[in-house]
Amino acid sequence: MKRGFYPSLFLALALAYPLLLSTPFQQRLGALVLLYAIGASAWNVIGGYAGQVSVGHVMFFGCGAYASLACYVHFGWPPLLGLPLGILASIGIAALIGTPTLRLSGHYFSMATIAVAELLRLVVTNIELLGGAVGLSGPVMPRTWLDLSFTSALPYYYFFLAVLLFVLWVTWRMEQSRMGYYLRAIKDNERAARSLGVEAGRYKLYAFMLSAGLTSIAGSLYAIMFGFIDPESGLGMLTSVKMLIMAALGGAGLLFGPLVGAVILVPLEEISNTLLGGKGAGLTFMAYGAIIMVIARFYPSGILKLLQDRLRPSAGGRQSDVA
Amino acid sequence: MLLEARSLTKTFGAFKAVNDVSLRINKGDIIGLIGPNGAGKSTFFNCLTGDLVPSSGQVFLNGQDVTHLGPEQRAQLGLARSFQVPLSFEGMSVIENVMIGAFLRSADPAVARAKAMEVLTLTGLSAMCDAPASSLGTPGRKRLEIARALATDPDVLLLDEAMAGLTATEVQQAIALVRDIHKLGITLVIVEHIMEVIISLAEQVIVFHQGHEIARGTPQEVTQNEHVIAAYLGKRAAATAARGFAEGGA
Amino acid sequence: MSLSLVQILISGLLLGAVYALFSSGLTLIWGMMNVVNFAHGDFVMIAMYTAFIIWKLLGGGPLLAMPMAAVVLATIGIIAYLGLVRHIMRGPMLAQILGTFGLALLLRYGMFWGFGANFLSLPEDLVGGTFEWQGLRLQSSRLLGGGVAVALTLGLHFLLTRTSLGSRMLAVSEDAMAAQLMGIRPDHMQAVAWALAAGMTGIAGALIATFFYISPTVGENLAIVAFVTVSLGGFGSVPGALVAGLLIGVIESFSGYLIGAVYKDIVVYVLFIAVLWLRPQGLMGKN
Repeated sequence: MKRGFYPSLFLALALAYPLLLSTPFQQRLGALVLLYAIGASAWNVIGGYAGQVSVGHVMFFGCGAYASLACYVHFGWPPLLGLPLGILASIGIAALIGTPTLRLSGHYFSMATIAVAELLRLVVTNIELLGGAVGLSGPVMPRTWLDLSFTSALPYYYFFLAVLLFVLWVTWRMEQSRMGYYLRAIKDNERAARSLGVEAGRYKLYAFMLSAGLTSIAGSLYAIMFGFIDPESGLGMLTSVKMLIMAALGGAGLLFGPLVGAVILVPLEEISNTLLGGKGAGLTFMAYGAIIMVIARFYPSGILKLLQDRLRPSAGGRQSDVA
Repeated sequence: MLLEARSLTKTFGAFKAVNDVSLRINKGDIIGLIGPNGAGKSTFFNCLTGDLVPSSGQVFLNGQDVTHLGPEQRAQLGLARSFQVPLSFEGMSVIENVMIGAFLRSADPAVARAKAMEVLTLTGLSAMCDAPASSLGTPGRKRLEIARALATDPDVLLLDEAMAGLTATEVQQAIALVRDIHKLGITLVIVEHIMEVIISLAEQVIVFHQGHEIARGTPQEVTQNEHVIAAYLGKRAAATAARGFAEGGA
Repeated sequence: MSLSLVQILISGLLLGAVYALFSSGLTLIWGMMNVVNFAHGDFVMIAMYTAFIIWKLLGGGPLLAMPMAAVVLATIGIIAYLGLVRHIMRGPMLAQILGTFGLALLLRYGMFWGFGANFLSLPEDLVGGTFEWQGLRLQSSRLLGGGVAVALTLGLHFLLTRTSLGSRMLAVSEDAMAAQLMGIRPDHMQAVAWALAAGMTGIAGALIATFFYISPTVGENLAIVAFVTVSLGGFGSVPGALVAGLLIGVIESFSGYLIGAVYKDIVVYVLFIAVLWLRPQGLMGKN
């Protein structure tokens, strides 16, 4: 099979999907899959490639979402203009958390990310300028096209697809560069990597900052599409869980792993919410918990790796070689 | 002076693992460190590589005080090491393992790959370059350790029991490899249990016992040193070693 | 010192003692097998629901709830160890963290599904209500909680340092291979450690339930409190957890009094981040 066949096939299907399945529900579902694929792919940079499990990634998602809507509410800017501010804030926070914890064992990093995400949620809930417990709303009616406020999900779909391609391209460039090799080495054996001159702490920090910036984009896109953010949707732990489980289910550390995870899990969640209503949320997350345990116990490399090994039993362990 | 240790002491709690040991290594030397298990040679070795910070004393590399620099910074300054229990990157191919070392001198993957191939040829691993590192046996892994370290273009290479667990034939091949590396102008520090290896390679040997240096000199001198015989070798072992030396020297 | 400050100090110490108790379970597991149980807070939560069910069905107070919760949680701990942790503890970091994190979600949303998101609580006078002593207002439930917690935490320390079971567990944590050569089965000892840690956590949960609200997500905050306690106390150190737990209880109590109840969690989280920056090995940890 030629290299690049599967990505091309995916791109063709992705471009055609909203035209083939064109009900509003289906188009909205498609946009959501892409949005979560962006978030999960962003998580993958630190959690998958660098092997540092962030359990509080929603803090960067929240930075993006709040930056976008705060700029609209306070300055009247189109929410899109808040996106770069969210990225900057996220990178700053990542540097602040990563500098002390990425030098320690990975447990500290995971615990610190949970604590900081929860801290931000509590702080934001008490800040009136950020809407407090009520949250912030975006433009009700679009003033210009720059507000990116549409009733149909179709424009969002193609916009998110373009952003996802950008995120995957950035990740792919990183994977092929010295940094990509270094991260794999650090994940495999940090002590050996350091003996070969790899500044492990620095490269993990770079990966964390890159991941934070990309995650913030997903948050801004969420705020732009839904026009609303509150401490639960923007900084609640469940969004962190979604990013993490999609990447881990699809295949952490594989370029297309998070996308595969999003394609499987987002429709499942949307359908179960539609069928079961409010009661469904508890069941969905119970199922998430069970799935995460099963992945951890039986197949920590994820579904995509399983498929790859099935398709090419002789190819050995090259992780970077997807499709 | 390429590498220098000035009165290094390392304590763990109340236990003095290394007690006031100094060492001066010039370019082109081959130095052997020997001693029974727990004598402190590995602790001393790890203070040289930056894996441990000494409790007192200093380490200089190319005239620079590196006592408080980590292993990654020492690698950048020209020091490379192997690990006693090989720490291969299991998820990578053989050549990718070596590329991690080569990346220290070039960020370009193509350049790093070429450099890695060169080193793999020298170390006799070029045939397996695309095999997963996890498929190698002990001798292969030991060679991969050395190849990875060489790819960083070191001035000095520290080998931590690079030949433990090898068969007699493999040891002979490994000795030949170390000689080749020395011919490239690389200075060597060797921690070794196998007397035969030290005798045939090292120009100067330092013997550790209970954290102290008890003897230093040529292999011949130390194997005849009374303290060494009493403390480490035991009389029979000393006789065997001396005989081995005579045969090796002939 | 004015009477109200003494009052705050005492309530902080009593709360802190309970923090120390459930954190010592986390630190035991972490120190012994280098595994952080991300479901630890949810273990406490399950114990709180156990106490609630026992009161609801049998009308029993903490004297009945403590042993029952200990048994329930020790069982969960052993199942978690045998079915999950044993298989992932040597695996990649990702699997290790995901495994117990998945368990946390399963427990949390299992209770959410079963009991709903409503806050529950035990009747205030279940443990004798409030009384005055030397001008101090004291809640019997908190006195009981603090007293039992200090006794059990010291008991755990005694068990680990003075008994043969403790020294066998310590041997496994120092060097599992060497312990095996001495005839100690590491997986037996680790299962015992999980049962012990979870059982202690169960007792802590039954105590907390007498003076704290009960909800499916309460474990999330308690887990963070335990992380702070263990990090501050130094991982693996039970005396460290005791000192750190008391300290955090007092800090929380004073910050609640000085800057408002809303901000006391914030103060604890900021403290955690400060510890990671300044002294990651903890107050009593080894460098």
